[in-house]
Amino acid sequence: MFAYAIRRILATIPVMAIVALFVFSLLYLAPGDPAAIIAGDQATPADVDRIRISLGLDRPFLIRFGEWAWQVLNGDLGVSIFTNLPVTHMISQRIEPTLSLMSLTLIFSISFAIPMGVLAAWKQGAWIDRVVMVVAVLGFSVPVFVVGYILAYAFALQLDWFPVQGYTPISVGILPWFQNLALPSLALGLAFIALLARITRATMLEVLSQDYVRTAKAKGVDQRAILFVHALKNAAVPIVTIIGIGFAGLIGGAVVTESVFAIPGVGRLVVDAILRRDYPVIQGVVLMFSFVYVLVNLAVDLLYTLFDPRIRY
Amino acid sequence: MKRRELLKTAATGVVAAGSLAAPRIAAAQGMRTLRFVPQANLSSMDAVAGTQYVVRNAAMLVWETLYGVDSRLDPKPQMCEGHEASEDFRTWTFKLRPGLKFHDGETVTTRDVVASLQRWMVRDTMGQAIKGRLDALEALDDRTFRFRLNKPFPKMLFALGKSNAPVALIMPERIARTDPFKLITEYTGSGPMRFNTAEWVPGSKAVFEKFADYPVRPEAGDWLSGGKRMLFDRIEWQIPSDAATAAAALQNGEVDWVETPLPDLVPLLKRNRNLAVDIADPLGNIGSLRFNHLQPPFNDVRARRAVMMALSQQDYMQAVVGDNSDLWKPLPSFFTPGTAFYTEEGGDILKGPRDVEAAKKLLGEAGLLGAKVTLVVAMDVAITKAEGEVTGDLLKKLGFDVDFVATDWGTVGARRTKKDPPSQGGWNIFHTWHAGADCINPAPYTALDAGGDKAWFGWPKSDEVQAGIAAWYDAPDAAAEKKAMAAINKASFDNVTYGPTGFFLMYQAWRTNVSGVVKAPFPVFWGVQKT
Repeated sequence: MFAYAIRRILATIPVMAIVALFVFSLLYLAPGDPAAIIAGDQATPADVDRIRISLGLDRPFLIRFGEWAWQVLNGDLGVSIFTNLPVTHMISQRIEPTLSLMSLTLIFSISFAIPMGVLAAWKQGAWIDRVVMVVAVLGFSVPVFVVGYILAYAFALQLDWFPVQGYTPISVGILPWFQNLALPSLALGLAFIALLARITRATMLEVLSQDYVRTAKAKGVDQRAILFVHALKNAAVPIVTIIGIGFAGLIGGAVVTESVFAIPGVGRLVVDAILRRDYPVIQGVVLMFSFVYVLVNLAVDLLYTLFDPRIRY
Repeated sequence: MKRRELLKTAATGVVAAGSLAAPRIAAAQGMRTLRFVPQANLSSMDAVAGTQYVVRNAAMLVWETLYGVDSRLDPKPQMCEGHEASEDFRTWTFKLRPGLKFHDGETVTTRDVVASLQRWMVRDTMGQAIKGRLDALEALDDRTFRFRLNKPFPKMLFALGKSNAPVALIMPERIARTDPFKLITEYTGSGPMRFNTAEWVPGSKAVFEKFADYPVRPEAGDWLSGGKRMLFDRIEWQIPSDAATAAAALQNGEVDWVETPLPDLVPLLKRNRNLAVDIADPLGNIGSLRFNHLQPPFNDVRARRAVMMALSQQDYMQAVVGDNSDLWKPLPSFFTPGTAFYTEEGGDILKGPRDVEAAKKLLGEAGLLGAKVTLVVAMDVAITKAEGEVTGDLLKKLGFDVDFVATDWGTVGARRTKKDPPSQGGWNIFHTWHAGADCINPAPYTALDAGGDKAWFGWPKSDEVQAGIAAWYDAPDAAAEKKAMAAINKASFDNVTYGPTGFFLMYQAWRTNVSGVVKAPFPVFWGVQKT
């Protein structure tokens, strides 16, 4: 398995190279111009041209891509066109809020969704099953930003239990950290909870109809043990797969959630960069996200062996 | 008591039982910190290389100008002690105030001033006018410097003190030596606040700290002039990503002052007794329908006039600011209403009932009925989105074949630089707006320039407009300035340099425990305090 993991990690190199080329080409072809944004609305066309030249944006594609690729190979993601700060520094400033948000969302989602799915499967057709399905449909149907605004209105503006916006580093204290992230995590997690609960329910229904479950019941095994030890472990592979796939959804959702709750995370960084056409920042963040996504998929693959010993790499 | 306050009180009781003074200290520190939500993201700090308003607003905390305009737009000495001008306005000699220091402790000298002005003169239109008639800009000693010009320049003090970007900010010589077309990377100024680079999280937070060695002028502070007394030790700019979140944070007491609340949310904010809401900038804004003068159909002045004949400023302004008629007024002018040299000369085309039929007739005579028009609209900016939608409807009424390109401001910013035909990535019309402070006279008003290829986007060309601008620069007195402005306005309407879509105001909002907030074209932080 170790050799497999190493092979997979090495396989990320061509993947990252293709991502890098794709992102760079896309930005090259996309309309927009950071020089015009730096110059501002009052600048003349000649000023914009001069700034474009000073930024080197008038040079051919291959030269620009070659320079950037060489920088990246040397571990340097470049410097922001606007702030002159290194992209790695800008990402490092923003990574903690995003990791915190995604971690808390994952914890929330898994903690709620899996028991919900298991219960719904166990009590198929009963009121609890219907409630879980209603929550799932709502979670799928309502966009993250709408949930965010509703939560902020109810729990921040009306009840004053949580702040509306911002982020407090975990080093300042767990409580303020949690207060800042509770509503965003819930908003971001709702769709994920819905997805995970539905998959858990469907997989559990299939597993619960297996002969070995019937045998366990016949032998008088405790219901909780049947559900959470025997059945859930066997249903785990598709659930873990969905958690991995859902991670990509969380990255996309984090962009919106961070904007609604003014969390200074990587999602907002990339949105701002896209609006300003800050190419080095966009390229750096997309590259980082794609690397993380590849790693998450690798982790999911490796987790399969824990839940199903028949799987071997 | 609300639950959160109860929890806070309980926590305070448990944790701070032995240190009862702690909350009071924290509260006092809170009083010394202002949490401000600016109009946009602060993505750079160079108000010479760039002209974004938000950058200018931040830069004016960190750097100073030699002169500064007051609320009557009169330039007053700021870093300068005073000046002497020759009778023919060809020689201007200035003396710096004693005790001026940069944030790194170095004394401000005329070497810094000369280097800063040389950089600024490359970028600013008034600076370019000075540079065009400059024989020498020389440091006579550490505190005295002189302009020697080969042609009179009566507007020198306004040029050095205006608030419009590029602003004549004075930087240390080593920073001022930066290419004027590249952004500076060091933010050392001599203004009342220093920029805390370590705490800067672009797109999220910018922090300014009080500069203890700043020599406050004895006069009362008035816009960019007089004593800039900072009553806060720290100003935190909390960059919003969402206007609704900023408004909610203001209501919840998480921020103290929002520069530009969303107009739709203003009624809600006004109902909150903990908030004050008022006009932000008395000089307001002028909406702009910008034509491309190089490409058909608007390379024909008859097409531009036809649009003006049918254009209803009421439609535009209601789309931009809603039904509140206090927030807008019709503007048969290119200049800011209420200012000294405001004129409506030649603006009849925008007065009276709108006449779509007459406009169509004119288009028919020009053979332009049914012509294709590429309207490029930034849908991510509320004002341009509103303007664009009204224009789309207007053009259809006039019988144009409208290609409505809905895009973002970043794309509009790039596309408007293209002179190519619309089919090759160019454009016919885009929308923007101009701050009223930029439209008080022709100097900071790049959109008014009609110098053809060198003019602002759209590249209008009119010798009459240019002659009027030249006459304004040379005007020795107020009467001559007024006459020149009237000539510019008339020629701009004759040529239809662009279409003014009306004059509108925006609100600002702040917590009622904040006092000293004034109306200005930029946030004025000096004199503001929290109680």
